[in-house]
Amino acid sequence: MSGMNLEAARQTFIEEARERLQELEAGLLALEHDPQDGEWLNAVFRAAHTIKGSAGLFELDVIVGFTHRVETALDRLRSGEQAFTPALGALLLRAGDHIGLLLDAAVAAQEPDAALLQAGQALLDELARALGEAPPPVPAAAGTLPERVERSGGAALGPEFWHISVRFGREVLRNGMDPLSFIRYLGTLGRLLRVATVTDGLPALADFDAEACYLGFEIDLDSPVDRDTIAGAFEFVADDCTLHILPPRSLAAQYLELLRALPEDDLRIGELLVNSGCLSRVELEQGLRRQAEVQPSPPLGHILVDQHGVEPAVVDEALRRQGQVRERKAASARFLRVQAEHLDALIDQVGELVIAGAAVALLAQKHADTALEEAASTLSRLVAGIRDSALQLRMVPIGETFVRFQRIVRDVAHELGKEITLQISGEETELDKSVVEKIGDPLMHLVRNAIDHGIEPVETRLARGKPASGHLRLDAFHDSGSLVIEVGDDGGGLDRERIRAKAIANGLITADHELDARGLAELIFAPGLSTSDSVTQLSGRGVGMDVVRRNVESLRGSVEVHSTPGAGTVFRIRLPLTLAIIDGFLLGCSGSRFVVPLDSVVECVELDTAGAGVCPPYLNLRQHALPLVCLRELFGLPAGGGARRASVVVVQCGGRRAGIVVDELFGEFQTVIKPLGPLFAPLRAISGSTILGSGEVALIIDIAALVQLAAQRRPVLPSRSPA
Amino acid sequence: MGELIRQDCAAAPAESLQLLTFVVAGEMYALGILRIREIIEYGRVTTIPMMPAFIRGVINLRGRVVPIIDLAARFGAPPVQAARRTCIVIVETGEERFDVGLVVDAVCEVLELPAERIEPAPAFGARVRTDFIRGMGRIGEQFVVILDEQRVLSIEEMCELARLAIDGAAVG
Repeated sequence: MSGMNLEAARQTFIEEARERLQELEAGLLALEHDPQDGEWLNAVFRAAHTIKGSAGLFELDVIVGFTHRVETALDRLRSGEQAFTPALGALLLRAGDHIGLLLDAAVAAQEPDAALLQAGQALLDELARALGEAPPPVPAAAGTLPERVERSGGAALGPEFWHISVRFGREVLRNGMDPLSFIRYLGTLGRLLRVATVTDGLPALADFDAEACYLGFEIDLDSPVDRDTIAGAFEFVADDCTLHILPPRSLAAQYLELLRALPEDDLRIGELLVNSGCLSRVELEQGLRRQAEVQPSPPLGHILVDQHGVEPAVVDEALRRQGQVRERKAASARFLRVQAEHLDALIDQVGELVIAGAAVALLAQKHADTALEEAASTLSRLVAGIRDSALQLRMVPIGETFVRFQRIVRDVAHELGKEITLQISGEETELDKSVVEKIGDPLMHLVRNAIDHGIEPVETRLARGKPASGHLRLDAFHDSGSLVIEVGDDGGGLDRERIRAKAIANGLITADHELDARGLAELIFAPGLSTSDSVTQLSGRGVGMDVVRRNVESLRGSVEVHSTPGAGTVFRIRLPLTLAIIDGFLLGCSGSRFVVPLDSVVECVELDTAGAGVCPPYLNLRQHALPLVCLRELFGLPAGGGARRASVVVVQCGGRRAGIVVDELFGEFQTVIKPLGPLFAPLRAISGSTILGSGEVALIIDIAALVQLAAQRRPVLPSRSPA
Repeated sequence: MGELIRQDCAAAPAESLQLLTFVVAGEMYALGILRIREIIEYGRVTTIPMMPAFIRGVINLRGRVVPIIDLAARFGAPPVQAARRTCIVIVETGEERFDVGLVVDAVCEVLELPAERIEPAPAFGARVRTDFIRGMGRIGEQFVVILDEQRVLSIEEMCELARLAIDGAAVG
């Protein structure tokens, strides 16, 4: 493997290992609820096993050693020797965290430091105690597994070690695998007694392909591990090699069986085996004679069953496991790892394509050529399809983000001595990956806050006539073009009097300042306000809620809070679905162009200002008063063509409706969002810009912020000084 | 319209400076050319509501949205009135090489000024803030203010000014 490939493979390994760790964690959490579920246990075991196997490939011996012990413990759970207890589950969760830390060290390409190693050893000791074993020796590469069925006794003739016979496929090197790494890994499982290289596959020099692998190995391994573990070492080349593993003390017949299965000259391998003491020369000759008689040879599994009384159940189990591995392989083949930059570049290009398509459509319209217009509209439709597919590539379900909170809620609640159940719904709701990455921290703050401040201690809950166990809810759903995430608890709700007192103490409001319930609730997002009297490790330091709001707003989202005293608090985060392209609705006002997200547009109605040029504060829309926002007044745009009739775009956002008064409506428009950049970060009500087919720049209106701005009922004065 | 220069190397050695000179509000100024990407004709600028006067708006620069700074307004003079020779100089600023466009009344020339003809900024008497000045270049009998684009185009400072303008507008 060249350095480049190795680094890339290492990256992939670390990413995958992290995913496996998540599976491991999810499985352990599920087991806490249902300790009998064998499927989860298997999933956890597989995760640990895969991490160990692939870490071995990269010579991350510390991870291998540690994970091996964890795997051993899991194996005992799986075999039923040990029952799953919550305490053991908690310990295994911590072990999973430790593997995560070791991975962090591997990312930094560092050897784990002494403190980390010590922590690992402490965990292993604890694990051993929990399993009722003596603590393992410090560099615990090889475990002490109970004897396996493979060690079938009887007329054992063979030597006391595993014999592994492997022939690598031609493509192994090209696939980025190094045959030596497998042998190196085997070395971590036990003692390599003997490694003989089989070079029979080498072609004549003229036919030799430098990038092909022609080698095979005959290996004698002294190790207490089981067959699965040895086979697992070769998992990454499972499809690309011929592997035969003979357990210690196998019958000579099995070696002969091996001979039959291998493609090379029988005598040559026979010699190797005789030399390594697996077979005597007499046995070899007998075997070769017999080989001629038995044709075709029965499957290895049958032989095992026939000759050694290996229970058919064991063979079945092996086959089932094999099937699982295959299944997982198939599942991973359905996914393709793509570098995020490549995807971003594609989205950018699609964005340009959308703009260019809009330009073509505009030209076609101008020329009034029916055929051209038709072609342009077909093009637009296709481009819209490509746009949607391209954006879909970046969409991921929010479930992964939510699932992490199971663990956090469990740990934090435990730490605080509270009982809390987390209910997750809407985990299949999809949103842009770049949004998902940035929403984790704000959510974490909200969840921790809810556990720490929201949900009352058990005694208080019981005194208030609530169930002892608190209820925390994470929900996600789509609502008019945005994604809504709710974090709700059934705690005491916000203590408005205390917030008020704190805000006055911190000088945020004056003592005589009267605030409505909503305004008071909004105060918790102010910097430096924490209502908790005790500063805990979790929250209460007064950093948090303002950070939450800032983070959410940096994603062009908003966060609001609804609280019912005594019944709980709900935080509602509203986020745009994507940061790249939206369906927009193009408006004109005073010669400027604006875009509002099409999903938020309910309808359009005409407004007869009859040349007055002043727009009324409300519109009677089918007997309902609709508050109006005059874009010209709000943005301080120059007055122009006041005599024309204005239009009202009725928009909806977060359950509120408002009418935006504009001069012209231009209809739907595929909007490629171009961020305005850091210079315009303080800007409210405008979330970005887009380029029209004509090359003009139009501004994208953030409906929620616009309505909020207008609700302050202070018309914005023209900021451009007339100097 | 062509790009003048696109170099990734560090700032010019102390010996001499390559400068682009231009006129803003009747005064001649200069900028080191290393950070200048291109000069384009003044075109349609989309104004951004609620921003201070020196942030003139944004333009579409081959598919990218680039903010436009009115240098005259940034120096406290009345904004540039678009005329036939009005240009936009696209400059990279900050660590992230963020592009901004500068509206100038006219672009003059690119010249190389040896170190001995560059003097430190005067303590007072200049028409622009002293911290905006990187040095004074002597061209013949004339002095030209060499601007420090890191200070003049500091995103943090401009952002803060914009924030003040917006909050002022919201309260007023």
